[in-house]
Amino acid sequence: MTSELSTFAARLRERILSQPRDTSLGDEFGALALELFGLQFAHNSAYRKICEARRLIPATINNWTQIPAVPAAAFKELELTSLPRGQRTHVFHSSGTTEQRPSRHFHNAESLALYEASLWSWFQPNVLGGFQFSAFDFQLLLLTPPPELAPHSSLVHMFEVARQKLGAKKDCFVGRLDANGAWELDCEAVLDATRTTQHALLLLGTAFAFVHLLDYMAERNLHLQLPPGSRVMETGGYKGRSRELPKAELHALITERLGVPAANILCEYGMSELGSQAYDTEIYPPSSILHPRCFRFPPWARVQIISPETGREVAEGEAGLIRVFDLANVFSVFAIQTEDLAIRRGDGFELLGRAALAEPRGCSLMTA
Amino acid sequence: MNELPNFFLADLPSEAVLTPTVLREACLTLKRNRAHYLAGRTTEEIIRVLCRVADNWLDAEYPIRKLALAEGPAKTGFGRATIERGLDNFFKQFTRENFFALLAQELGDVRRLDEFVAAPGETRAALASGPELLVHIAAGNIPNPTLMSITLGLLARSAQFVKCGSGAAFLPRLFAHSIHEADGKLGASLEIAEWRSAEAALADTIFAEADCVTATGSDETLAAIRAKLPVRTRFLGYGHQLSFGFVAAEVLSGRSAKKTISGAADDVVAWNQSGCLSPHVVCAQRGGEITPEDFARLLAEELERRETGEPRGEVAKETAATIASRRAIYEVRAAHSADTQLWCSKDSTAWTVVFENDPRFQLSCLNRFIYVKAVRDLTEALHGADSVRGKVSTVGLAADAPKQIELASALARWGVTRVCPIGQMQNPPLTWRHDGRPALGDLVTWTDFEK
Repeated sequence: MTSELSTFAARLRERILSQPRDTSLGDEFGALALELFGLQFAHNSAYRKICEARRLIPATINNWTQIPAVPAAAFKELELTSLPRGQRTHVFHSSGTTEQRPSRHFHNAESLALYEASLWSWFQPNVLGGFQFSAFDFQLLLLTPPPELAPHSSLVHMFEVARQKLGAKKDCFVGRLDANGAWELDCEAVLDATRTTQHALLLLGTAFAFVHLLDYMAERNLHLQLPPGSRVMETGGYKGRSRELPKAELHALITERLGVPAANILCEYGMSELGSQAYDTEIYPPSSILHPRCFRFPPWARVQIISPETGREVAEGEAGLIRVFDLANVFSVFAIQTEDLAIRRGDGFELLGRAALAEPRGCSLMTA
Repeated sequence: MNELPNFFLADLPSEAVLTPTVLREACLTLKRNRAHYLAGRTTEEIIRVLCRVADNWLDAEYPIRKLALAEGPAKTGFGRATIERGLDNFFKQFTRENFFALLAQELGDVRRLDEFVAAPGETRAALASGPELLVHIAAGNIPNPTLMSITLGLLARSAQFVKCGSGAAFLPRLFAHSIHEADGKLGASLEIAEWRSAEAALADTIFAEADCVTATGSDETLAAIRAKLPVRTRFLGYGHQLSFGFVAAEVLSGRSAKKTISGAADDVVAWNQSGCLSPHVVCAQRGGEITPEDFARLLAEELERRETGEPRGEVAKETAATIASRRAIYEVRAAHSADTQLWCSKDSTAWTVVFENDPRFQLSCLNRFIYVKAVRDLTEALHGADSVRGKVSTVGLAADAPKQIELASALARWGVTRVCPIGQMQNPPLTWRHDGRPALGDLVTWTDFEK
């Protein structure tokens, strides 16, 4: 039933692994996208219904930008997958403590293999650019719980893949679960590691984990100077799990408390509904020095910034909602409409925030 | 009129800095002016001025009205026609009869702010006095509640300091100018200012001078204000409320259906659904000639027509994004089940109707985004609204006259504080008991004279 998708996934994986930074994929992107859309329309019934309701079917679509996007939030309600029940060996959930029903992105061995090829191929140049790719050159610290405590987190899965590829030890996960099952950070473990290391540190974690760490250090009036070359990668929103800080303020505090300069702090943009991630590093020539930090997906995923008013792509420099077209989403849905606002910057985007958190005008009784 | 004179702090250029000293001076001046010019005025005189002010506002050529309509859209985010209709509906209420009805309701006798009056058959007489300095902390959504607060304060002969949210002073300021123009002495007992709520020292200054403080806002905002007030300062807090409509099956046919749909559209369009009295949801009872689904579709068609004559206007990008994101979810649901249906404006977020065959209450993202819920009866609608019980202000009701009293009684027992015809949700009368409390009665202090 899904053998065509399996073949597609294997081909794409091969392509990603052999030429991860080959931007010439751009020329093929459209053809691959239309092929994938045809397969998903045929094999993903929940998605097909959405397309049919919009009267957008493969026969009427001749450009990848026309392919119907589904809201990421629809993964909470529908089984947006081509994998039959018996083949779903793994599922990633959206994070967030307030959500009653998380998103569900189903995987099997093939789709996980593609996910891992995709994430690692873009993680390497963005996060490790300039490092020797070995755990002997730097110490890895992952500020999330380990995979066995967070089996449904795509982020933790990504960190685990990175850990294994880098040959780092299991104990570099320094997060754990509190009594309610929420993520928390073993701040002392982080501080111990920072004090004893002989190497540069690579700290990867969620924004709220860094806030917890920085608050912990502030309470104790601690300032550290991480070894030269140390890097920080932060990702994700807060979702009520710590006080919220604007990005610039968080980065300034990281510089102040951990001694990591701004140039060595990078951000990741990802979600459980996607097979690829975007980073705001400048490994490719910046599109303009005026806005040097914008996010880019790998060549096998593209982004459009969509006007919430018209549903059409906004002009350069304007704000809208992020829509991701991700070839690595072979067994789920290629085109994902997020609720995140961003400004279109060349082929990348500058992240603004999440629409659903915007306070509605009028009486603010919104609780969810 | 392009330029207004600098009478009020809110008239000052934005670079002018407010300091506690400036505000303390302003409060003392207000109290002095009240003693000289306001405290001795009669109720008749005050009502005469208020009616003149309202007549001016209802005159298409009145310069301050023209200014409000010309600059309002940019300053408030509401379209010109929306401001026009909202203000007209408000000022139409300002008649001598309506003010008398208000005074009689709240004080038992229209003369009681002027002299001791005994109730019929009683020897004891009573006189009502308003606070010397009344402070209003206004919310930023829509102007009418602020204009009404100022009006009540004038009736109570209070000096008034109105603190508007940052950027929300425009219409209250024009109203103050219209009072000042009609009667400079009344205007001299009124101050309008705006600053960001973060500037706590400024609020502390006026709180120290106030005899009574009214405030509209979230529970957190009200708690923070209450905590700052001296213990003997009266506090009237109006927490955020929400509202919904209920349409009984028997009105969903023929002419009355048309009227009901038009009324529901009025309530959604008024102030772009931004006030506590605007509906989040309209519950439509099954069993009528027109099904709840059809009611929703017809409401959508009506909102489309309204958009032509009274466009919603632009909203912030975040608001548009929230609307677009919500629509996207309902579109997906609609593709999978007939229990959900979606109608919305093309190429804009101007209006949205979501039909759900599910009686559970939903909070709307407002800005003309309305839910229509199919319900078996009022009991099911109230059961579905359990999550917001205690926070419901108004229910717009469409039902046959004989049934209305029974439905209104059920709503009252459930905790609703106002039931009105659908279409009138944003037009409370002057006599409206704000959140179930006597708005003027709560301001005054009584002196009993036992002869």
